[in-house]
Amino acid sequence: MVEIKDKKKEKKETPRPVIAVGDGAAIPTKEDVGLFTAWRVSFVGAIATVACLVIFSPDPYWRILKFLPDGILVTFQVTVAAIILALIIGLFTGLGRISKNKIINGIASLYVEIVRGIPLLVQLFYIYFALGRIVNVPAMASAIIAMAVCYGAYMGEIFRAGIESVSSGQMEAARSLGMTSSQAMRHVILPQAIKTILPPIGNEFVALLKDSSLVSILAVSDLLRRGREFAAESFNYFETYTMVALVYLIITLFLSKLISIMEDRVGANRQ
Amino acid sequence: MPTDNNSVMVEMREVYKYFGQLKALDNVSLDIHDGEKLVLIGPSGSGKSTLLRSINQLEQIDHGRIVVDGIDISDPDTDINKVREEIGMVFQSFNVFPHKTVLDNVNLAQIVVRKRSKKEASEISRELLNKVGIIEKVDEYPDKLSGGQQQRVAIARALAMKPKIMLFDEPTSALDPEMIGEVLDVMIKLAKEGITMIVVTHEMGFAREVADRVIFMDYGAIIEEGTPEHFFKNPTQERTKLFLNQIL
Repeated sequence: MVEIKDKKKEKKETPRPVIAVGDGAAIPTKEDVGLFTAWRVSFVGAIATVACLVIFSPDPYWRILKFLPDGILVTFQVTVAAIILALIIGLFTGLGRISKNKIINGIASLYVEIVRGIPLLVQLFYIYFALGRIVNVPAMASAIIAMAVCYGAYMGEIFRAGIESVSSGQMEAARSLGMTSSQAMRHVILPQAIKTILPPIGNEFVALLKDSSLVSILAVSDLLRRGREFAAESFNYFETYTMVALVYLIITLFLSKLISIMEDRVGANRQ
Repeated sequence: MPTDNNSVMVEMREVYKYFGQLKALDNVSLDIHDGEKLVLIGPSGSGKSTLLRSINQLEQIDHGRIVVDGIDISDPDTDINKVREEIGMVFQSFNVFPHKTVLDNVNLAQIVVRKRSKKEASEISRELLNKVGIIEKVDEYPDKLSGGQQQRVAIARALAMKPKIMLFDEPTSALDPEMIGEVLDVMIKLAKEGITMIVVTHEMGFAREVADRVIFMDYGAIIEEGTPEHFFKNPTQERTKLFLNQIL
């Protein structure tokens, strides 16, 4: 039933270190037949369930589904903005963590330790209310900042591991040609690290999308918040949250598929 | 043949380098003249690679002084990147850039460091790739190349900077036997052009043919030095004899 296309994978690849981080939906790869099947079953199943519910019981399911898209859009906005910001923070944190400069290294390590030790929900509250005392930041902006600060720390560790996975001879070769360490990083190390970094970043992307549901407590009208609003008005709690859960599931499965396709592309183009 | 009349290209004075408790370089003093071909031999762990790597400061020395082409590289105010532009290095493990084509491997530092235009760099690269005999592979990625071919790309990459000194750190040790010749041929060709070469190698045939001077190191110190003739006919030190007996 599942055809495995492995003609591309046949050629011997030097084993690349795998970074095992992330709590998002697993990215389906063609090698992992079980997971690949599970992806299909759950994706098709979720869509079929939504379709059935809407067709056979349009009230309230169709009304719920019509109510949610605004929230989906907000969820995406928060996720995409936060991930871009987190990537930037993560790159500098990762570089800081491998820096030989003790102060820079100390700051980066401290940031990672502190952020990883505080629950995201607490961070969200903290940044929202702490920032709120100094400047009036819109809820949306503080939600994005909080998510980025939190995920930046995880990204930093991914960048660090990715950079360290490139053999030290590459750096030596670049430096021996007279490149500064930042030139070597930019032209030689980072382009090679990308391949190792991309899969766990994909995972983080999916994880961040799920965690973005936490911002609903900051008066940001994301998918979950829209669901809560609908449920509070209609008292259809069970039906609403069923729908919300299914929509999240479809989005994350879709995203993880997209990421696995992207990984294949990158893998095919570069050695 | 000693080359006393030439100016000194590398001057090392009382150089010490420690790895923890281990003395990697133990009071090394050495003058290398412009245009000289110096071959370093010795058992593994004898400090010959460390000596080589200290010349372009891939290893930082703990004590002493190293002057390269008139610039004191042990001085913390020296811009080491400027000095490295003049020192090409070839590694045992090739270290070609796997994400770049052969041409881009040779182009990269020319463009980034020497600030040459892409066109100018490519012309120089093609000329050098022709010289090392892999012009037909310009658009390939390194993983499509054999070890010997990769090493020749690495040599071209170093030469593209137009260095005054070339350092070779066991350039043929990671190669299959049938590929050693093609790399040595390129190095012999290069030696005839008059560039200063410092080579760490176990290829005694190469030392015999190319070296002006051979240095035998053990336990981080220079034990014996002389012409290849002196070395292979009548070495004076016991340790040198022992080592040469083992590898010849």
